[in-house]
Amino acid sequence: MASHPAKSTAPLEYAPYDDATQSLRQIPRYPRSFTRNPSQPLIRRPLTLSERTGPADLARRLPVDRMDLSRPDAGTARVAGQLIHVAGRVLDEDGAPLAGAMIELWQANASGKYIHEMDRHEAPVDPNFTGWGRLVTGAEGEYEFITIKPGAYPVGESDWWWRPPHIHFSIFGVSWMQRYVTQMFFPGEALNETDLLYNGVPDPEARQRITFQLQPTKVGIPNLLRYRQDFVMRGKRATPAVD
Amino acid sequence: MSQRTWVPSPYGTIGPFFLKPLVDGCDDLTQWNGKKARGQQIVLTGRVVEEGNAPVLNSIVELWQADAGGVFPHPLDPRAAEADPGFFGWGRARTDREGRFQFRTILPGGSREENGVARCPHINVMVLAIGVTRRLVTTAFFSDTPESVDDPALNCVPANARSRLFAVRDAALDSGATPVYRFDIVLRGDHETPFFLD
Ligand SMILES: [Fe+3]
Repeated sequence: MASHPAKSTAPLEYAPYDDATQSLRQIPRYPRSFTRNPSQPLIRRPLTLSERTGPADLARRLPVDRMDLSRPDAGTARVAGQLIHVAGRVLDEDGAPLAGAMIELWQANASGKYIHEMDRHEAPVDPNFTGWGRLVTGAEGEYEFITIKPGAYPVGESDWWWRPPHIHFSIFGVSWMQRYVTQMFFPGEALNETDLLYNGVPDPEARQRITFQLQPTKVGIPNLLRYRQDFVMRGKRATPAVD
Repeated sequence: MSQRTWVPSPYGTIGPFFLKPLVDGCDDLTQWNGKKARGQQIVLTGRVVEEGNAPVLNSIVELWQADAGGVFPHPLDPRAAEADPGFFGWGRARTDREGRFQFRTILPGGSREENGVARCPHINVMVLAIGVTRRLVTTAFFSDTPESVDDPALNCVPANARSRLFAVRDAALDSGATPVYRFDIVLRGDHETPFFLD
């Protein structure tokens, strides 16, 4: 995919996130959220150049273009799992596309296993599946990639909690303020009902924004299920003050 | 005239499994594009701890800072053309079993806003971890005389907590000619790090 350098000439205004549209900071039955989030109020400070700038051109710094996680190398066999295609756009709060935004994604394999030293789940490793990718959005903020649907996995520190299938995302917009990390869920998964993180976003409408939308199915090469979701990054274009 | 507003998507925790290839090679800010960054090289290290002073292993710390001349390599900085071509300004590291992170970078210069307001030398810092459902943002300041620093962000912090935002030179840790600065991040508890509204 062609790389579009981040267009970051227009300054953006950044209002603090509206808590009603976000995850709780402390989620009942999720112990770590109680020991790792500040007890003191967050401090409001004026935004300066330091926060309004940021690593907008990370594609120059980090390797990008892993579009097809299901095929480690061209010509080799696909990794095991349900093939899916995920697409969408990265937008700002004006609905304007963010060209050149960097998207990092990582996920478990079809058996719910990550290639990570801290993953103790005894599920099969798929040696061909690295489970990560890094992309840059196109001129209309669009992104797409092919992968396999990740499996569910148990949370080691708990005696009941299974994470539903999800894909992790980390996105860089045009500034330090426009930095976003989340997990995207699949629609209709029974485990979504009991997941502490999914339901840690109390507003059902907001939860829809972290749920992939299944697209109408089609049969034909390549045969894969298609999902869509847009990411809305914080930030609106600054408008001149009117007296 | 009202314009439709799109609502920012909900944040989520980074979880335990941010993969190694996404972190590797991001902790050295002292060179870029085959060029060495100008200015004083430093090591910035510290521990991320949670309530009870327990180490937070496997958290992700990211930095964003100006170059030695106080310029941000970004089109919004009017001085961007003067930015050090050997400096990219962004870094990422993972904390180890002791909760320790470490970067090699350069001492940032102070920067100036177009309205003349000066920022004292500082590095923007954010933390992502299991249990941290929304990123935590803070700032590490650098000064030999913290009491006399006049910085618009620091001035918003309660006076009795300001010292926690200064990276401390630790001569005992100096590695050869490179000075080591310590910046511990207390997510919650006694001596909690002040975090900024995001
Ligand atoms: Fe996960």
